[in-house]
Amino acid sequence: MDRYYKRWFWLLVLPAILLFVCIIALPFLIGAVYSFTSWRGTYFAGGSLAQSFVGLDNYRSAFANEQFVHALLYTTLYTVVAVIAINLVALALALMLNNIRRGAGLFRTVFFLPNMLGGLAMGFVWQFIFQVVYTELLFSPDGILHVEFLRYMTQDGTKALFALAIMTTWQSAGYMMLIYIGGLNAIPGDLYEAAQIDGAGPVRRFFKITLPLLMPSITVVLFLTLANSFKLLDQNVALTDGAFGSRLIALQILRTTQDITPPNYGVAQAQAVIFFVIVAIISLLQVWLTRRKEVEF
Amino acid sequence: MGHPGRHYFGGRKLSRAVLYLVLTALLLYTLMPLVFLVINSFKGQAEIVRNPLALPDEFTWDYIARAFTAIHFPQALGYTLLITVLSEAIIVLCSSLCAWAITRRRGTLPTVVYLCFVAAMLIPFQAVMYPLMSMMDTVGLKNIPGLILMYGGFGMSLSIFLYCGFIKAVPRGVEEAALIDGAGIFQIFFRIVFPLIKSTTVTVIILNGMWIWNDYLLPYLTLGTSEQKTLVLELFYAKMTSGQFGNPWELVFPAVLLSILPMVIVFLCLQKYFVKGVSEGAIKS
Repeated sequence: MDRYYKRWFWLLVLPAILLFVCIIALPFLIGAVYSFTSWRGTYFAGGSLAQSFVGLDNYRSAFANEQFVHALLYTTLYTVVAVIAINLVALALALMLNNIRRGAGLFRTVFFLPNMLGGLAMGFVWQFIFQVVYTELLFSPDGILHVEFLRYMTQDGTKALFALAIMTTWQSAGYMMLIYIGGLNAIPGDLYEAAQIDGAGPVRRFFKITLPLLMPSITVVLFLTLANSFKLLDQNVALTDGAFGSRLIALQILRTTQDITPPNYGVAQAQAVIFFVIVAIISLLQVWLTRRKEVEF
Repeated sequence: MGHPGRHYFGGRKLSRAVLYLVLTALLLYTLMPLVFLVINSFKGQAEIVRNPLALPDEFTWDYIARAFTAIHFPQALGYTLLITVLSEAIIVLCSSLCAWAITRRRGTLPTVVYLCFVAAMLIPFQAVMYPLMSMMDTVGLKNIPGLILMYGGFGMSLSIFLYCGFIKAVPRGVEEAALIDGAGIFQIFFRIVFPLIKSTTVTVIILNGMWIWNDYLLPYLTLGTSEQKTLVLELFYAKMTSGQFGNPWELVFPAVLLSILPMVIVFLCLQKYFVKGVSEGAIKS
C-alpha cells in the first residue's frame, strides 16, 4: 500500500502545488527581490532588473515616510484595542450563553450574523451611524447622553480608531464567541462538581478551572483577532478611507502607489515586506507563548 | 447541582432574569444597524438625514428598484456566484486530494510539502499583491478566470491544513481493501475517502465562502473599473460615485441591503453548518 500511495503522490499533490507556487510562492519571492529595486509596476527605472537594484533605499524611504510609520503605530494601537475588546466581549457572550438553555440558539445565530456581512457594505452603514446617529441623535447635547468623544468619530484620527474597534467588535465578537463556546463545552463537568464539593466559589472556579482549561481556545482567538486586526482593510476603507491620519497599514500599502507620482512600486513592496515580517513574528510569538501555557487533561 | 449565582444575585431565578435581560439588550444592539439599514432603504435622502431612526413616511420600492439597476444587481450577483462556486470547487478538489496524498505517504517529503503550505498562512495578501497583479497582467489573467484561480491559490493553505487534520484520523484499512478489489486511485478517493471527510468539506466551503463572497481588495485590484464587477465592487463604486454629489444615502442604503441579502438568506438557511464549520475550523487550528 505504501508503494501505491508513493506512486500516485505527485499526481495528487500537483494541482495544489502548482496553484500555490504560481499564486503565492512565486509572487512572494519576486516581491522580496523587487523590494530592493526601483520597480515602477510595469518597468524598472534604470533599465533592466539587474541595473535597477537600489540596495536598501526602498526600506530607508519606507521608514522615512511619515505616513508609513504613523500607519504602523496606528495599526498597533488599533490592534491592542480591538484584540482586548473582541476577546472580552466574545468570552462574556460565550459564558452567558453557556448558562442558559432556552433561546441559546437564537442568541447565538444573531450574535454571529454580522460576521457574515461584508466589511465594506456594513462599513458604509456604520459610517452613517457614526456621522448622523451617534453625532446628532444619541450623544449630542440634546441626545440621550451627551458624550463628546462619541461624536464626529469618523472625522478625527484618535476617535476613528475607536470607531473602527466598535464596528469590528460588533462584527467579529460573534465568531470568536462560537470558538469560546466550543472550548467551554470541552471542559468536563465533573471538574466543577468536584471543586464545588471542595468549597470553591464561582469566582475561584472560573479562575482555577475555566480559564486554564480554556487556554487552547484563547490561543486560537488571540491569534485570529491579532492577525485579523493587523490586516484589517475593508472597514478602514468604508469608515474613513484613511482620512484624518486613520490609515491602517494594509490601506497604507495599497495607497502608497497613488501617493507618489510616478508610482513607486519598489517602496510599496518594501512596506509590504516589512508588514510580512511583523505579521510573521507576531503570529509565531503568539503561538509559541500560548502553547507553553496550555494545560493538558 | 450547584447554584452558581446565589451569593451575588440573591437567587437563581433572579440571576437568570438578569442574564436574559443583558443578552436581550446585546441582541438588540447587534440587530440595530441592520434594522436601521432596512428602514432607511425605503426613504429618500432628505428623510433619511432628517429622521434616520423613524419608519418611512410612506412605503415605496422606488429606492430599492433604483439601487437594483445602479449596481446591476442580477449581473453582479451572477458574477459573484460564479466566482465563489468555481473557486470553491478548485479549492475543495485540489486541497482534499493533496491532503490525502500528504497524510498517506510516509517519509519527510510529505511533511516538507505540508509545512510549506502551513507556513504560507503567515504571508499577508499585501506581501504578494503587487507582483501577483503584474504577473497576472502579463499572462492576460486580470479578469474573472484569473480571479477564480487566485482564490484557488489563496484558499489552499488553510484548506489543506484542515483536511490533513481530519484525514489523519481516517483509518486506511478500507482503502487497502478497495485497492485489492481492483479500484483505481480516483475511485478510492471519490467513492471512499471523499464521503468520509464530508464534514471537513463543509467547513472548508464555509470558511472560504465567507471570505470570497465578501472580498473587496482582490476584485478591486483585478477587475477594477471593468464592466464585470462583483457585488462588493459594484457597491464600492456606487458609493464612490454617489459621493461626488454629496453622499446620497438613498442609493447607498438600498444598495447595501441588496448586496448583503443573498448572504443573509444563505446563512439563515444553513446556519447549523456555519456554527459547526466555524467551531471545527477553530478547534483544528
